[in-house]
Amino acid sequence: MKFRGSAAVVGIGQTPYFKRGTAPEPELKLALRAITSAAEDAGIDVRDINGFISYASERSDPAKLMPALGTREVKFASLVWFHGGGLPATLNIATAAIMAGQADVVAIYRSMAERGSQRLRVIVAQNDTSSQYLVNGLDSPAQILALRAQRLMQHHGVPQSALYATVAASYYHAKNNPRAYGRSIAMNEEVYAHARMISEPYRLFDCSRENDGAACVLVVSAERAKDMKQKPAYILSAPMGTMEGGGALEENWRPYYATAGQKELADRMWTESGYGPKDVDVAQIYMNMDSMGIGAMVDHGFFPMEEAGAFCRVENLIAPGGELPINTSGGDLAEGFIHGMGLLPEAVRQIRGSSTNQVPDAKLSLVTGGPGDLMSSTALLGARETL
Amino acid sequence: MEYSFEKHKIVGAIEADDQYWRSLEEGEFRLPRCASCRHWTWPAHFRCGRCGSWEFEWASIEPKGAIFAWTRTHYAFDRVLERKSQVPYVTIVAEIPAADGARVMGILKGDDRDLQTGMPVRGHIEPPDASSKWYPSIRWEVIR
Repeated sequence: MKFRGSAAVVGIGQTPYFKRGTAPEPELKLALRAITSAAEDAGIDVRDINGFISYASERSDPAKLMPALGTREVKFASLVWFHGGGLPATLNIATAAIMAGQADVVAIYRSMAERGSQRLRVIVAQNDTSSQYLVNGLDSPAQILALRAQRLMQHHGVPQSALYATVAASYYHAKNNPRAYGRSIAMNEEVYAHARMISEPYRLFDCSRENDGAACVLVVSAERAKDMKQKPAYILSAPMGTMEGGGALEENWRPYYATAGQKELADRMWTESGYGPKDVDVAQIYMNMDSMGIGAMVDHGFFPMEEAGAFCRVENLIAPGGELPINTSGGDLAEGFIHGMGLLPEAVRQIRGSSTNQVPDAKLSLVTGGPGDLMSSTALLGARETL
Repeated sequence: MEYSFEKHKIVGAIEADDQYWRSLEEGEFRLPRCASCRHWTWPAHFRCGRCGSWEFEWASIEPKGAIFAWTRTHYAFDRVLERKSQVPYVTIVAEIPAADGARVMGILKGDDRDLQTGMPVRGHIEPPDASSKWYPSIRWEVIR
């Protein structure tokens, strides 16, 4: 029994993105909306969803959801460790559960509404940041990742222009996406360079903005996916993990520090999928912060560190014709940020051919997980022809 | 001795570094190494992942190293509001050759112009105060 291509995403659902703390509905209700719209998209009776998977500090657990979904039976429920690093790994767990006969229709979802849950202030803050950081004035991921960005730029020589190109490509794509929270921002070098400083070298637009919202994708077996309403996006590989030298080591990661800690993961993904970086048609790169996404692309072998400046040019990163169109919905920087969960439905839309920034005939669609997270993951989705 | 940091304990992450803070309050910079295989283990942990020993010795070393990474914070973030009046302030991650390259964080002291990775730094031990959440701290000064 092979993991590769054993399961597929057959449904996607999303609420609008709202400014953090302003969602008109509570977090749990947003989760219900995302899950029910994914079921509708897939043509599946929502009561038949019997597997529930999320990651990070998700609080809309299946016990709270099932009365409102009319769930007949929860057969499988799991939360992937850590933060955005767990995003693509949800596909791994879903596939494994389906292959092992533990679930038939699996909902992968993430819901965030700051006002109700106080997620940033309470949940993330709890038991996660060590005294070594807090004593020394470091609280936010923006500050901690800024340390790594400084290393990437000053020590490894990655130019600011590479960071800007990822931002510009994200906002370029957002313009065409009616869901994108940042669609009305006219991004250019001046706007980017004069935005207020957050934590050097990051200015405002180097950072994602946390939004309220929810998103869901539905996974079923490849066998079942064949006859369903939507064109399936097959899960070719979705490894998770951390190598020795990573983990809860604060700023002591070795040998990698300034990249994303995804090199070995990516290697395993290429091996399992049988494809390589040159085969990828389109990529949704998790960008809590822009430089971390550059690290993820280095780890995935799209370019070596010293060529980051040459590769990361705006025209190279945009649909339809760029060498590697990234974040075609606007991504975490410009569409909206609910811990990266918006990236999964967009990766699926690219396979279906329904993105607002479609890469023509896209067959291999990559989604990378939270870069620099304590544990991370990455996933390659493919059209039927890639199996 | 009564330690300030123990009365203001921050809960989070591995929490095996009490001896680090105790030593700083006593005026010494100490980092842990495995009592059996001598491997430096930083951040501090409970068991040596190399040899399996549960014993560590906290070696006193001279706080000297080089800037590995740094950031200048321009915003008063929620959980470090004690530093609001110091914004913008610089946090340094210093690499310590005497401890096999262990990287130790601290606030910059003194001249903050033209910071670059690789610059040599010297540590100064500061007593607990409100801005460091009543923990002792080490501050890194660039040797120019």
